[in-house]
Amino acid sequence: MDLPSTPPQHPLHASRTLSQNGVAVPYIRPLPTEDTNWKVAFEPPSEIVLAGSWATKTAVKGKDTSKYEVDVAVAIPSSLVQEKDYLNGRVFQKRAYYLSAIASALVNKNSPLPCDLFFQSTSGDPRYTTLVLRPHESVEGFRKLNVQVRIIPFLPHSPIPLQRLSPSRSNVRTSGQDHDSKEEPTPLYNTALMHMITPKAHLLAIHALKQDVPAFSDALTLLRVWANQRGYGMGSRLCVRGFEGKGMWWASVLDMLIHGEEPQPVAVKKTGTKRKPLGKGLSSYQLFKVALDFFARHDFAEQPVYVKSKDGHRFPPMSYASHEAVFVDSTSSVNLLAGVPLSSLDLLRYDAQATLETLDRSGISEDPFHTVFLQDHRDMFSRFDIVLRVDVSSAVMRNPSAHLVADHGSVYNALIATLTSTLRRGLGNRAKAIAVLHPSSDVRPLSQALPTNPSAIHIGIVLDNEHAFRLVDHGPPAEDQESEQAKRFRDFWGEKAELRRFKDGSITESVVWDVKSVDERTHIPSLVVKHLLRRHLGIGAEDVKTWQTQFDALLKAPESIRSLYEARGAVAGFKAALTAFDALVKQIKSLDDQFPLAILNVSPVSASLRHTEVFVPIAVTPSSRVGIPTTASYLPAMEVIVEFEKSGRWPDDLRAIQKIKLAFFERMATALMAAAKGLQASVVFGEYTARTEIQDEAALDIVTPDGWAFRVRIWHDREATLLDRVINEQSRVPKALRRNITGEEARERQAALEARDVYLRRFIHAPRHHRVIAALSHKFAAFAGTVRLTKRWFASHWLLCSHVSEEAVELLCAHIFLRTGASVTAETMMLPAGVPGTKERGFAQVLKFLEDWDWTKGLVVPLDFSDQDVATADASPSASGTAPWSLVTQFDASGHVWTSSGPNAVVARRITTLAKATWASLAQSDSQDLEVTRLFQHPTEDYDFVAELNPAVLPRYYQSVEADPSIWAAKAQYANAGLANSTSSVLPGFDPAAALFRDLTRVYEDTALLFYDVMGGAQVGGVWQPSLKNARPFRVLGGYSSLPVSKDGSRNKEKEQGLVVLNHLAPSIEMKRIGSGLITGIVSKID
Amino acid sequence: MGSSSSPAKQKQKRAIASTSTASSSSLPTTVSGFTVLPIAYSSTTIHIIYARAHSVAKQKNAKGKQKEELPEGRTLFLVNVPPDATERELTVLFKSCGTVERVVFSTGGTSAQQDTAEDEDESGDEGEEGGVGSGSEEPSGSDEEEDGEARPKKKRKISQPEGPKVVPLPSIPLRTFRRTGHTAYVVFLDSSSLARALKPPTKPYPWPIDRETPLGLEHYKALYSALRPPLDVVRAHADSWMEAFEHEQAKKRQESQYRKGEAIVDEDGFTLVTRGGAYGKTLGGGVGVASKRFMGEQVAGAASGAGSKRHRKKKDKKEKDAFYAFQVHEKKRKEIVDLKKKFEEDKAKIEKLKQSRKFKPY
Repeated sequence: MDLPSTPPQHPLHASRTLSQNGVAVPYIRPLPTEDTNWKVAFEPPSEIVLAGSWATKTAVKGKDTSKYEVDVAVAIPSSLVQEKDYLNGRVFQKRAYYLSAIASALVNKNSPLPCDLFFQSTSGDPRYTTLVLRPHESVEGFRKLNVQVRIIPFLPHSPIPLQRLSPSRSNVRTSGQDHDSKEEPTPLYNTALMHMITPKAHLLAIHALKQDVPAFSDALTLLRVWANQRGYGMGSRLCVRGFEGKGMWWASVLDMLIHGEEPQPVAVKKTGTKRKPLGKGLSSYQLFKVALDFFARHDFAEQPVYVKSKDGHRFPPMSYASHEAVFVDSTSSVNLLAGVPLSSLDLLRYDAQATLETLDRSGISEDPFHTVFLQDHRDMFSRFDIVLRVDVSSAVMRNPSAHLVADHGSVYNALIATLTSTLRRGLGNRAKAIAVLHPSSDVRPLSQALPTNPSAIHIGIVLDNEHAFRLVDHGPPAEDQESEQAKRFRDFWGEKAELRRFKDGSITESVVWDVKSVDERTHIPSLVVKHLLRRHLGIGAEDVKTWQTQFDALLKAPESIRSLYEARGAVAGFKAALTAFDALVKQIKSLDDQFPLAILNVSPVSASLRHTEVFVPIAVTPSSRVGIPTTASYLPAMEVIVEFEKSGRWPDDLRAIQKIKLAFFERMATALMAAAKGLQASVVFGEYTARTEIQDEAALDIVTPDGWAFRVRIWHDREATLLDRVINEQSRVPKALRRNITGEEARERQAALEARDVYLRRFIHAPRHHRVIAALSHKFAAFAGTVRLTKRWFASHWLLCSHVSEEAVELLCAHIFLRTGASVTAETMMLPAGVPGTKERGFAQVLKFLEDWDWTKGLVVPLDFSDQDVATADASPSASGTAPWSLVTQFDASGHVWTSSGPNAVVARRITTLAKATWASLAQSDSQDLEVTRLFQHPTEDYDFVAELNPAVLPRYYQSVEADPSIWAAKAQYANAGLANSTSSVLPGFDPAAALFRDLTRVYEDTALLFYDVMGGAQVGGVWQPSLKNARPFRVLGGYSSLPVSKDGSRNKEKEQGLVVLNHLAPSIEMKRIGSGLITGIVSKID
Repeated sequence: MGSSSSPAKQKQKRAIASTSTASSSSLPTTVSGFTVLPIAYSSTTIHIIYARAHSVAKQKNAKGKQKEELPEGRTLFLVNVPPDATERELTVLFKSCGTVERVVFSTGGTSAQQDTAEDEDESGDEGEEGGVGSGSEEPSGSDEEEDGEARPKKKRKISQPEGPKVVPLPSIPLRTFRRTGHTAYVVFLDSSSLARALKPPTKPYPWPIDRETPLGLEHYKALYSALRPPLDVVRAHADSWMEAFEHEQAKKRQESQYRKGEAIVDEDGFTLVTRGGAYGKTLGGGVGVASKRFMGEQVAGAASGAGSKRHRKKKDKKEKDAFYAFQVHEKKRKEIVDLKKKFEEDKAKIEKLKQSRKFKPY
């Protein structure tokens, strides 16, 4: 290369010359002025070295289709640098000029390189600006290689005395006047300078390691792929702050683990147990695991790490005190973790823990390879419990310090550093990890001197559920009011800090977060963040966005309805429902002497009684229900099962048993009504025509005086035996003697099969399922919320109940929590790392799971962890066949108890599609703003026809995601009309829309697939069976409404066999007729 | 119901129907022997009912009672009846052809699905049976008239004079929604009406909607209250039913020629050996036999697996499978072929596993 050297000249003058070529000089701040007295010059590099990972063949493909990077280190001739240049960033100015000079020379060439040239600054720090050469697509050899070249100037032999660069020295004189203050060290500045000197040494160190340790490069690859998948690296999506250009660090970690640490002088307080150096013979996987183990256990905040070096410490370990985290490389010259926020390292620790857990469980669950290395884990919502989006463009530091800015290289970096350390301190043990996320720094054109920084950053918080929702933060006690600590506490929290006296008599400085409801309690961590951002960085609430409120709103009735209920003294909450249930149990048990048989058990089987109902149960006394609009009058009945003691007096006949149940119900109803004033009870019969008499169908509806509704069923275990007898009778008789099953008997057997199905699900599986789910929602704070959100999602996509049972959703969510290795029964409070801490994260993980899930393979949900169970469960899914959605638990080896009535393959495929779409819009949220309700809005364009229901008559309409408050507000205008309209009697479980939907589904079972949002949906969508659209020969029991095809045309030979096609117009009229008063119109997409 | 339709009325109806589009004219008049009867739901929408004279297959003649119930000469067999049709609506629909004596619906429930493989004529018989059963137990039976004959079987059997009466649950005339495309029989008073009904109409019939039986929201409201009868009715029903049940049981015990615990001996002197009930003997006696499964369990429990295995071995040894030379050869050849086949299968399996692998580095 024959680069022209330029004589020394004034920096501004020099930059003017270069700008003629369209190349700006990335001088760092403070920019040189007219009266700077140093000069910049250019001379051809004394040396060019291929450095970095490409040279050592340890490069790893980056994320987001980024290219491999070839680092070319260009030595700045030592003649250009003077001894005093370490001061005030002068050496960086010279470096900047040197880089620009190269750039302009490359641009200026008569035969230009087939490359695009860019500047790039690692971590947005102008001191690390490099020149990036991207080959054009047309260059044959390069396109295949998929590389870009990065030119890094470095100082091989600097005249700068190394001791001036010790981390404890101050090398920036922040402005002329501040000789008064003592010199604060400038650790980051010094590190940046050291980085200019080390590239060659690092290259040699890694090369030596590669030679020394056979598995080194493989282990490094594994480690870096793992890290890249989790955003510790470069990428255009959100990445964890502080890990750009840290290739050397990953290598050094392995170096440290292999060669051990440099012993620290005894003066430094002893730091835990010494890590023993590992042998060189470990395999790559072992090395990888050891590295993860190191990340998972090491406390970077407390213990500095010094990699074993040849000649001891270059700088005394004490001098690193001003660094947040210390990891000094094997040349003992650079702290590789300088500038990496501690909070990011917390996240690294958390991720390493989670991965180690996955690897440890690898025997049980599926092959962990996919999750560990192949899956992209950078999605915020499934990774963090709380995600905040902060617009930092308007941020102003409360205590701006020129020194801090000078040390960090730019205002922005100083700001982010303050932000992370403030949040880390403020959240304390509430959070396991806090991460600042933004896309890693991108290339910029040569004409732009300084890097641009993203204005919006995301903050992700992983909560520690034990402490996260603490109401009070304690500070120092009142006695030492004037102490430094107390002052700092008050300064930190601002107006929120106050002296309080606590129950134990102590008076301490404290911060109290007041919340009104349980829901709001989950907002405390984000409240803390918002407060701190406002206090320390001047970021107002409007610039901080969280999604929690939007998610919460999905699980609540609209404001106007809530106030209606509150005005009537409503009792709400899962706790209240459970209390009501306990009261009912007591009441029933006190009636013991009124029944011929004693009551053994009363067990709940309702989502409302296990915290997993989407809407919080609410009760108003029946008398004050007047005035509640029809659209909000729905009163769900909570199912309860009563078991009587065993007795020989039950009749041995299925039909008689059902009648005896009726008698019991009647007795119970009369007795209860006599015992409790205001209690209503009525016997309910099954709804459907096709029911047989041997099936359990009757129930007792109870409305308590407080307004809670229950539906009681009676469990008699003899039924199972009797049903089995009807079903199995034939199998015991030898084949020769077996009678032919006549039509009557076959029908009876069919009925018995159905009855047994209902019996098993209702009386055996449901109570068991209820107990397990209730235990789960006690064990995991976020479980109930996750289930509720997921149910809401299924409902709003018209699938819940009609196609996917609530229990199936609960099992899915249980899988998300239990796959981490957590167990329902374990005593310990320590939860594995992967367990979601908030419902939002749980929901995101469910979506992600649904998106990837191969539902033909089934799913084993380890509801109760014990070894022999696992063994049986592992074997079964293969046997379960190809029916979709097999959810195997140890109670249910076939996995179809809760999915027998759907989803079928069509619906399962649709669920996957919907989950993909929802997940995509959730994942997009790093680039664009996320509107949570959009995830819950159902697209209707895929349906063949959509029936519009009249929202004014739907008792659950208020629950709809898109509920229009004007529908019920209009009614409220005329107080009298409202009174007249609302029925005085309470109708538990009355939902005409659901009944209509069930009827339509049954009537058009083989003709169309219908969908409906059970939670107040005002539309019913349907798809015609596609095969019916073709002409088929006429059959009497075709099972669909048909139209004959006119015979003219080519179909002559089939003349005698009439062809018919689906008549899709007539059924829609029929539907409208069947649902008159409910259906207002049907929009058909076919004509 | 109403007297035979006057031509004037018919004309009037035609006039109404004439407002409908002429789209019906493009339809064929018959399909597979069925007359196509277009029904106008609205001015533009047409529903098709397929009609044919009811005929009883020869082999089914044994069931004489069916012949009585659906007289061949004047019964119209309809296919693809609207799912919400009531008897009255069908009666009104065919008023122009003649007076309808009664209407029998098929169940349209699961039974129809089961028997789809059966022949059309069989389906007729099937539908008849279903019609009897449809109103049973269900308080929302379709019509009073139907309800009367549609008492459930068990009620019929105890409705003999000596048994106590069962107090029925109140039944409210509500519509039954049947599955779409179901069938029905319309029995006319007069056989001449049948021919008139089978004549392809020139204009589609308008569909009469019976306003008296509620539809839609009203239907569901009524159904909701119908499913919750007053408590005293429930009580009366349950008590009387149990009484009847016990009466029946007692009668059975009396009538039975067999006594509890006594062996059943038929006229040839053979003793009937049956499996017992819960406690070894059921009503009607018979010699108790332990179930096969029970026996199996006992054996397995006592002698574990080894005993039963030896048992089988003894049986196997009776015939040698490689006695002749050709048998030996054949066996060897088969083994090799099997081995090859297995290898191929394994290869395919591995290929499939490879396909399903998510990690595709190249």
